[in-house]
Amino acid sequence: MKRFIVWHNFLILQLGINCFVMKKYQLGEFEEVVMLTVGVLYDEAYGVSIKSEIESRLERSVSVGALQTALKRLEDKGYLKSREGESTYERVGRPKKYFQITALGKEAMQYTRQSREDLWKAIPEVAWNLKMS
Amino acid sequence: MRKKEIQPPRLFQRFFSWYCDKDLLASIEGDLFELYHERLQKEGKFKADLRFIMDVIVLFRPGIIGIKDKEYKTNHMDMFRNNFKIARRTLWKNKPATIINMLGLIVGITSCMLIALFIQHEMSYDTFQPNAKRIGRVVMEYSFDGSEESSKGTFTSTKVAPVLSRTFPEVEKGIRMNQSSAILQLQGNPVTEAGFMYADSTFFDAFAYEMIQGDPTTALNGPRKVVLTESMAKKYFGEANPLGQGLEVGDDKSIYEVTGVMHDYPYNSQFRFDFLASFSSMGMNQEESYWNANYTTYLLLQDENSFAGMAEKLPPFMEKESADLGATINFTLEHFDKVHLYSPYSDFVANTNIKYLYMLAGIALLILVIVCFTYINLSTARSVERAKEVGIRKVSGAGQSQLFWQFIGESFLLCGLSVVASFIAVYFLLPSFNKLINRELILGDLMSLPFLTFTLGLTLGLSLIAGAYPAIILSKFQPMKVLKGVFKNTSSAKWLQQSLTVFQFGISVFLIIATLIVQGQLSFIQSRDLGYDREHIVSLPIGWNTDFQKINTLKKELKASSQIIEVSRAASSPVSINSGYSMNLPTRPENEVISVNANPVDENFIPATGLEVIAGTNFTEQHIRQTEIEPWEKKEFHYIMTESAADKFGWSPEEAIGKEMILNQQGTVVGVVKDFHFQSLRNDLQPLVLFSASWGGRLLVKINGENIPESLRFIEKTWEKILPERPYAYSFLDEDYDRMYQSEMQLGKLMNLFSTCAIVLACLGLFGLSSYMIQQRLKEVSIRKVLGASTFQVLNILSGNFVRLVLIAILLASPIAYYVMSSWLEDFAFHISAPWWAVMVAAVLTLGIGLITSGIHGLKAALSNPVNSLKSE
Repeated sequence: MKRFIVWHNFLILQLGINCFVMKKYQLGEFEEVVMLTVGVLYDEAYGVSIKSEIESRLERSVSVGALQTALKRLEDKGYLKSREGESTYERVGRPKKYFQITALGKEAMQYTRQSREDLWKAIPEVAWNLKMS
Repeated sequence: MRKKEIQPPRLFQRFFSWYCDKDLLASIEGDLFELYHERLQKEGKFKADLRFIMDVIVLFRPGIIGIKDKEYKTNHMDMFRNNFKIARRTLWKNKPATIINMLGLIVGITSCMLIALFIQHEMSYDTFQPNAKRIGRVVMEYSFDGSEESSKGTFTSTKVAPVLSRTFPEVEKGIRMNQSSAILQLQGNPVTEAGFMYADSTFFDAFAYEMIQGDPTTALNGPRKVVLTESMAKKYFGEANPLGQGLEVGDDKSIYEVTGVMHDYPYNSQFRFDFLASFSSMGMNQEESYWNANYTTYLLLQDENSFAGMAEKLPPFMEKESADLGATINFTLEHFDKVHLYSPYSDFVANTNIKYLYMLAGIALLILVIVCFTYINLSTARSVERAKEVGIRKVSGAGQSQLFWQFIGESFLLCGLSVVASFIAVYFLLPSFNKLINRELILGDLMSLPFLTFTLGLTLGLSLIAGAYPAIILSKFQPMKVLKGVFKNTSSAKWLQQSLTVFQFGISVFLIIATLIVQGQLSFIQSRDLGYDREHIVSLPIGWNTDFQKINTLKKELKASSQIIEVSRAASSPVSINSGYSMNLPTRPENEVISVNANPVDENFIPATGLEVIAGTNFTEQHIRQTEIEPWEKKEFHYIMTESAADKFGWSPEEAIGKEMILNQQGTVVGVVKDFHFQSLRNDLQPLVLFSASWGGRLLVKINGENIPESLRFIEKTWEKILPERPYAYSFLDEDYDRMYQSEMQLGKLMNLFSTCAIVLACLGLFGLSSYMIQQRLKEVSIRKVLGASTFQVLNILSGNFVRLVLIAILLASPIAYYVMSSWLEDFAFHISAPWWAVMVAAVLTLGIGLITSGIHGLKAALSNPVNSLKSE
């Protein structure tokens, strides 16, 4: 039985790597926002602060659910790393979880930004001529 | 302390910590608390609570949810897949056992489904009526003064409804109804419509209806108004608007105005009709007397509780009312919703006795039990083969509960497959089943929610019950013992197998006996000498008052044919005479009357029906002509009594001749005939008086039966010549007779069908069991053969055990069956007596079947070459 499970996991790993190579540095829009905000907050990036930072800077409301899922996904992908921090009275003893951008995360962000910029540059000047004849 | 006060809703806290991934729990919970705290200060407790709840709900998403057992991570999905695969392989490998089990389950479940459908249909009668709980059906009971006997039935006069609704505040509405067939003109041709119902306009207050056109409040006000059902509207008027049109009804072709169209009335109703005409159309005097009771009365009461009040108030009221009637009349109320299953009085639609439903449900249960037992038997017998598998699994670390669920799963798989197959089987069998039981069960019922729940429950229950014992036995094996060497069945398993076999065969014996007795009684009913001849008699409805001369011409023309032996006009055919009269002697006090059934007949009635005259003579044509004279007072009546009717006056048959008696009027007794059964055999023989009359609604034609189709053609041709204004319709007397026992016939058919199923199932079980048992004893048999045992001796040893079991089953089941069926027979005043032969037949049959099924395997084992089974070890 055990051997079977191991084999199974191995398969998943293989597949995972394949996916990874194919879709290089995949970052969703919201994920990118979260990554950027984590960078902005630098040492102070944890759940509540990220949420309020996005809300105040981008003037959009963020649900805890969406944020936490994004954080977990980013951490699973290896773009973010976390450490356990202090706890406060308001948190009823629960520790804060601080996030930090990893090297891989930085690469992914730069890749995303670069690809955006390439696209921007590729737009011919005429396209901005919005007055249609 | 303060902390507790500002806590977010506890329920959602707990919910969150239940579903949240344990790695994420602490930090997210912390975030949530922090946010809550913040919002509490800014927006107040209510909003903070609300948003906390929202957050918890929004967090309930993949990625966050992580309900798993961290310590011991079993791959359930893989185990399940593995178990499923093993189950499939075992089922496939043991084809005989699988086929036996599947077949058994399919037959069993299919029978159960059909029975369940039937029961569901019968239970659904009248449930669609919104007022069912507060409608009562009036039952009249009357006895003439000085007479011990009373008659009871749902017949009431027109007076009952108005008087009762006027007198008692509990009665909101009274509804009188009467169904008769009517002759309608469809494009100039006469057509008999059987579903012509007359009802008071209060029908629409009490009963359910779905009007398509017309106003229910006025539709039945006034005479000659009729509401059609949708299909009749289509039949008579096609696409045209029927409202306000006229329909020609009856012999006199009076015009009825169509005042409404309603949806066809549901099939599962205690009354069905195609036409609903106003009650006043019949022109009956509304409040003359309590006699002339030919109608059915329903009462709409204020509420359910009024039944008790009415039961209390009716007897004293009726005692006062019937003071001068020379008879005691009382009315009781039946609950409308209980009529179909509980009432002994069928009215518009034949009732079904709830007893029969219980019987059928019992049979369904017995069949299921047999199926379960077969499964248990085969699995325990097969457990020897599975023992090694169980041993290996246990050694590899399988727990007992895992093994238990594996085997339950296996039986669930088998049951599930069988249920699906049964659904298909029911789908295909339903039409012929409908024909068999004369119902209109529809597949839609099969798909209804309660029925699907029932099926699901059945599947789960079956797989649990059938699977539990083998699962327990198998999962309990000790791996050491199993893997070390040869493993034998435990003695407790053997004991169980044997008692289950006894039980199965007991049920089969029971069902065989029951079926034989029901069949015996049915053939007794069909073959009983009723005192009259019902073979080759054609019965034709003619109008009650159709002209005497015209009918005489018809009679003469018919008799001209050599194929027609006798033609008679009478009110009722001898199959069923239910008309209450009272008789008396001129010498006795006027109010000391005796209630008796009577039938107006002509001089040909006795020769046509073959009644035996034991004293005096038959009527003559002269006698009949004397009743043709108008007015009524001038008519002269003559009487022929049955023996028991003469006995009521204390006369012997010979003494009765020439005596004067009063029935309608004073008249002379001219003859006495032997008693005959003119009612169902459920009732005792009753007295009857035949009286001479020139009227009657029925023509009985006795034919010689040599060429029935030709005779029928001749009758039809003659009919069309002389009575072209009446539609031609006929029935055979023996068919009418059989129709009286419809519910018994149905029961008989169903019993036949399902007990055959049960017996086949029991045999299948025994077949499978004996095959496994003998396989286990193959070595023993071989050694015996080597040592010189003959085939017969071996067979004796192998089958002896089964024979013993079957014998025990017979001994146990026979007395029970005998007792149960005797009490069923008690329902009939005339029934077959002590059916000991049924027990014998059942015993011989089961014994034979048991011997043959177990003998097949025994013989195979006894004839096999001992070398084959001994050479390997």
